[in-house]
Amino acid sequence: MKRIAILFLILLLFIPAAVLAEESYTFDAAETEKKPYHFGGYVEFKPVLFGLDHDAAFYKLRFYNDPQGQTLPEWNGRVQLEGSYEKELFRLYAKTNTDLKYGYAGGSERSVFYEAYGSLKPADSLKVDAGKKTLKWGKGYAWNPVAFADRPKDPDDPELALEGYIVATADYIKSFDGPLKTFSFTPVLFPVYNHVNEAFGNDYKLNVAGRFYFLLYDTDIDLIFMTGGSRTDRYGVDFSRNITTNFEIHGEFAYIRNYQKNVIDAQGNPFTVEGDAQSYLIGLRHLTTFDLTTILEYYHNGTGFSGDDMKNYYAFINRGYNVYQSTGNTAPMTAAQQMAEGNYGRFSPQENYLYLRLSQKEPFDILYFTPAVTWMMNTDDQSYSLTPELLYTGITNLELRLRMGIIVGGRNTEYGEKQNDYRIEFRAGYYF
Amino acid sequence: MLKMAMVLITLLMTLPAYAIDGTALLKQVDRNLNPESYEAYRKLINIEPDGKRKEFTMYSAKKGQDKIAVLFLAPASDKGRSTLRLGDNMWLNIPNIGKPIRITSLQSVVGGVFNNADIMNLDYSAEYDVESVSEAAGNYLLLLKAKTKTVAYDRLKMWVDKGKKLPMKIECLTEANMLIKTLYFKDHKDFGGGIVRPAVIETDSPLYKGYKSVMIFAKIKKRAFKDEVFTLTFMPNLDSLR
Repeated sequence: MKRIAILFLILLLFIPAAVLAEESYTFDAAETEKKPYHFGGYVEFKPVLFGLDHDAAFYKLRFYNDPQGQTLPEWNGRVQLEGSYEKELFRLYAKTNTDLKYGYAGGSERSVFYEAYGSLKPADSLKVDAGKKTLKWGKGYAWNPVAFADRPKDPDDPELALEGYIVATADYIKSFDGPLKTFSFTPVLFPVYNHVNEAFGNDYKLNVAGRFYFLLYDTDIDLIFMTGGSRTDRYGVDFSRNITTNFEIHGEFAYIRNYQKNVIDAQGNPFTVEGDAQSYLIGLRHLTTFDLTTILEYYHNGTGFSGDDMKNYYAFINRGYNVYQSTGNTAPMTAAQQMAEGNYGRFSPQENYLYLRLSQKEPFDILYFTPAVTWMMNTDDQSYSLTPELLYTGITNLELRLRMGIIVGGRNTEYGEKQNDYRIEFRAGYYF
Repeated sequence: MLKMAMVLITLLMTLPAYAIDGTALLKQVDRNLNPESYEAYRKLINIEPDGKRKEFTMYSAKKGQDKIAVLFLAPASDKGRSTLRLGDNMWLNIPNIGKPIRITSLQSVVGGVFNNADIMNLDYSAEYDVESVSEAAGNYLLLLKAKTKTVAYDRLKMWVDKGKKLPMKIECLTEANMLIKTLYFKDHKDFGGGIVRPAVIETDSPLYKGYKSVMIFAKIKKRAFKDEVFTLTFMPNLDSLR
């Protein structure tokens, strides 16, 4: 009897634990209430260590008068604030971006509105926006040759937020039954005047752009144009479609009329080449049953420089560097820097590129952990960058990323002439 | 004569089981779970083996057989993300990246055991045919087969509460009958407007041993939406529906 009583007591002790193990979940109604205003943001801390290539043209260009050691640390910070206010049909939205940098040349800070616009939405099928806004056209992951009204994204980090342009735009949407499920039209007025989008192109022009979107036979199709004089007229088409549930293909084609390319010859004399240019991209995204995502893209940049153009530019830098070393004259290097700030220093300046990204979601059942590797190759000169990375998002609102960029290429190749041999970067980002 | 009577009685006893119209039952289950067009709020909790949790709050809008849009309200890192499903087409819109990218049903935009097909689930009867229906321990057991190869799970085993005509448990299987995950429907609640259904769906998976994900429903409400709401162009504006 005593034993039974003890057993009963033990059972009584364990029953509450068993009941507690059956968890209860709460969902507070306050979590679903909508407020007319919203405020949020993002802060980032990103230390970077560059392994410098002292023989590379872009090292000489940047550090010719301030030589560095084998490695160069840099401390970066970023603060983004965003807020919105909504009342009936109207909405105001703003997003700021502040970049902080502390490197070999000291500290710097740059603050700018990435977006700031007002919206009027009289119906679900119609919305009008005016202000600074990013449009983000195109289907490519690493490049978007049809994103005529956007700033170019960095293929090394294509998911970064971009600064917009000041535009007036609208979205008109119409849905249908049948093979054409959706049609939408997005007209854009794109002014370029003093202090208004003035870096975009020729001043005192009111450019017009537009996008027609169709969801036709389960395929996303966009027809895009831009005209108006700040840049030469351009037309584009893109598409995206799932071949199977886990296999998507996409592509973009851009036709740019009378594109003017400023280049230098072997003697360093500048001249302009003018002609119609065609850029295109074809890509795929594939997901395996074990959650390996593959993104593969080929990009032809019709406005890019040929291998010979780049060799001439590298030779121009090397001659300027030698002049500086022997005479102290900085003029040739200053001229080369100005060219770099133009097209020579832009992302993907040459003609043909291949991009491959493999990311494995949650390997070994580690939730929120995604290792990835990205390989980007200039197929004209076979130089490339290889970037393995580890991403962890397991802590709410915190994103941790460690990546290393290894650059491989000989002299007179795109990646071989970059300022670094490698780069190690840690990024901690917190959303609030 | 006695033999004939026995056969007749046996036939009459078995008749109710064979008389169940599986397709009608599945449609009834769908309607009991949600109105055909509705809005709802959901909280999704991923629970790791050590008890660590990650929570997401979402707003959903569904219309008809093949349209559903989901907007993430929390946490801050995911706020503003939205997903859209039009039949077999699925997209994810991340505000920073901006343009919607195509995603697949087996991926998960939230990590954890729930995948995109679970988060953007359409009516079961829209995606599955009833292969068989039987009675098991006083409830119905439906064996469902995907109508097309594009559906996330090839087969489902659905245990249905006989009285309430609501799912109690669903096993999601591959074509070879390998168990991918199990969904447990719990905590029946009256949401108003005649909607009485489980407020909690728990899931676990032999592929994620020790992990558990939970979906909690709130404010399920019948609501009509325009078709234009379920388009790529509208995705950044989903919050205006709330």
